[in-house]
Amino acid sequence: MKVKNREPAKQENNIYRPIKGTIERIKKQTSDVSLFTLELEEPVHYKAGQFFMVSVWGAGEVPISVTSLARKSTRIEFCIRRVGMVTGRIHQLKEGDNLWIRGPYGRAFPLELAKGRDVVIVAGGIGIAPLRPLIETFMKRKKYKVSLLYGSRSPDDIVYLDETRKWKQQGVNVVLTVDRPTDGWKGNVGLVTTLWHLAEVDFKKSVAFICGPEVMIRAAMQDLFFFGMPEERIITTLEAHMKCGVGKCGHCYAGKLYICKDGPVFSYKEIKEQSILNLGF
Amino acid sequence: MKREWILDKNHLSYWLRQLRNQMQLIAPMRDQVGDIVFKQVEHIHKIELNCPSLLPSVKEFFLPQYERLFEYSKKDDRVVDSISKTKRVIFGLRSCDVAALNTLDRFFIDEMPDPYYKSRRENSLLISIVCNNPDPTCFCIGLDTGPYLKQGFDIQLTDLGDRYFVQAESEWAISIIKNYHFLFSRPQKSDYDDQYEVLLSSKARFQKRISLQQSRQLIKSGRIKDSFWQGITSRCFECGGCVYQCPLCTCFTVVDRSYNDTVERARLWDSCLFKGFTRLAGGILPNEERIKRTKRWFFHKLIHYPDVLESFGCVGCGRCTVTCPGRIDMASVCMKLKSIALNGEEITDEG
Ligand SMILES: Cc1cc2nc3c(=O)[nH]c(=O)nc-3n(C[C@H](O)[C@H](O)[C@H](O)COP(=O)(O)OP(=O)(O)OC[C@H]3O[C@@H](n4cnc5c(N)ncnc54)[C@H](O)[C@@H]3O)c2cc1C
Ligand code: SF4
Ligand code: SF4
Ligand code: FES
Repeated sequence: MKVKNREPAKQENNIYRPIKGTIERIKKQTSDVSLFTLELEEPVHYKAGQFFMVSVWGAGEVPISVTSLARKSTRIEFCIRRVGMVTGRIHQLKEGDNLWIRGPYGRAFPLELAKGRDVVIVAGGIGIAPLRPLIETFMKRKKYKVSLLYGSRSPDDIVYLDETRKWKQQGVNVVLTVDRPTDGWKGNVGLVTTLWHLAEVDFKKSVAFICGPEVMIRAAMQDLFFFGMPEERIITTLEAHMKCGVGKCGHCYAGKLYICKDGPVFSYKEIKEQSILNLGF
Repeated sequence: MKREWILDKNHLSYWLRQLRNQMQLIAPMRDQVGDIVFKQVEHIHKIELNCPSLLPSVKEFFLPQYERLFEYSKKDDRVVDSISKTKRVIFGLRSCDVAALNTLDRFFIDEMPDPYYKSRRENSLLISIVCNNPDPTCFCIGLDTGPYLKQGFDIQLTDLGDRYFVQAESEWAISIIKNYHFLFSRPQKSDYDDQYEVLLSSKARFQKRISLQQSRQLIKSGRIKDSFWQGITSRCFECGGCVYQCPLCTCFTVVDRSYNDTVERARLWDSCLFKGFTRLAGGILPNEERIKRTKRWFFHKLIHYPDVLESFGCVGCGRCTVTCPGRIDMASVCMKLKSIALNGEEITDEG
């Protein structure tokens, strides 16, 4: 473990203080998504479903999910899509440059719900990022039957394409689909929510983890509930505008809760009961 | 631990002078354009002792409108935080302001302490003054947040004409009085009588009787339809005035500003009434409909604040009443809700 000289316990003193990470590797995934591997100046302890505030000085901070396997380490990975100002600046960085991070924040995925059950994982676009460590955990523990339904805009927009092949070999039932096929695409076309029959599980006895655009999350939750999956076992992670990550700035306020500290992982049950985001569920 | 004394008004200036020698003194003062605002005091005699009850809130001194969080030096690749440790005494604030700070303490300090707020709070001594003359817009009386506080203050002064009835609660406050014990005397029975009379007279002067509890119940009962909120929303100018004035509105945004050798990361007041407040990547606006934002503001203060922090997100200071150009301030909206409760119907015109 590389822990350089520094003033002690920075993060404990100031919840807003970021620590420095050095980009060891950038792996391009698609035209607008890259995987950043960082080496941090001090270890952090994170779990799947949690997120960090990631920043470039001069550009600002944005919330980004952990995409590497849960652990305590100076090593961490973020899979980041270029969509605007800050993510644009992050994408201009090169290996050896610095990213600053603080966290982890929020609730992790409730892995215990999967004990003795089959697992359905539903991903849309960059939504695969927080789900990757989940899939890897299930594969590592071996005793899980996992189905992954993963939708992308086009075949060129599939993030973690290499991983999906590896997961397939490890026994995951991988179902890929795209909105707009290109020549040579032989897989499924259309929304993930049209592919439930390929999931090969008894929905009543399984647990689901969902991440993607809000419309997809909403449709997937409603479908699974309709198929008889109990609402407390339909799990998702929500996106909101976040400026602090610690329940202070008010941006992610959703009724009694703050998505950043009380989420971002919620069950369908909680979303309904707390009418989070007035999603119209 | 509660202690009581009497301070002769002739001694006030000396006492404040001594306090100012030890720390920054902030009190109501006239600014360049003649408004009375809380400012650092240079000349004690310029403190506005007989100002109206309602001044801009002291929120600014705990959550400044613009506050630097960090300075990053590009050259040495170092981050320095700028947590203020300046010792201050704030003189002349009102009970409602103190009550608001007590609620903010629970929000900012109890869970994941905000070091900037916490340090400012810990280094500030509050000397509040009971309101003998509440403004026509004040409605703290229905909330127990004024005009007089039973607890939760550092030092509370009640103006008895030629002298102050002084109460101190915190240890710091008591020690500050004890250091100048020769200025303070023991209260006599007549002092207690006078204080009681002042309170009664103050209470009798309130023009507004507003029950937030009733508004809360009404909203929770489900009787208030969206058409009501639509009416309120149609009057909102989206100026954010209520938010900036309210001692219990604390939303902020964070910005980075680049200079030649440094980057400053700062936070500044933001408002949930603005469309862009919840903007997502790619320009998605979850709260584009204005009614959602109006409801958010009122529901936060009337429903969620009490649910989570055990007190309303309003102390009845009436600042939004003075500020709001659309007259959809907290008091006006609660009055409208009350008329629904009484008449069993919705009143949509001037309430
Ligand atoms: C819990 C969580 C986890 C996330 N995980 C990932 C991830 O693993 N990979 C990934 O690519 N993206 C992730 N996102 C989305 C990512 O945070 C946004 O894409 C990013 O904030 C956009 O910032 P920008 O400045 O590039 O975009 P712009 O559209 O230029 O944003 C402009 C402003 O809006 C703010 N803003 C816009 N969208 C968001 C947002 N969603 N949250 C907070 N602030 C926002 C920015 O801070 C900025 O100030 C996650 C979001 C959340 C809430
Ligand atoms: S809502 Fe209005 S009356 Fe209530 S504390 Fe805020 S500014 Fe004062
Ligand atoms: S609301 Fe009450 S405490 Fe506040 S200024 Fe008015 S009378 Fe004083
Ligand atoms: S991100 Fe600031 S309150 Fe949730």
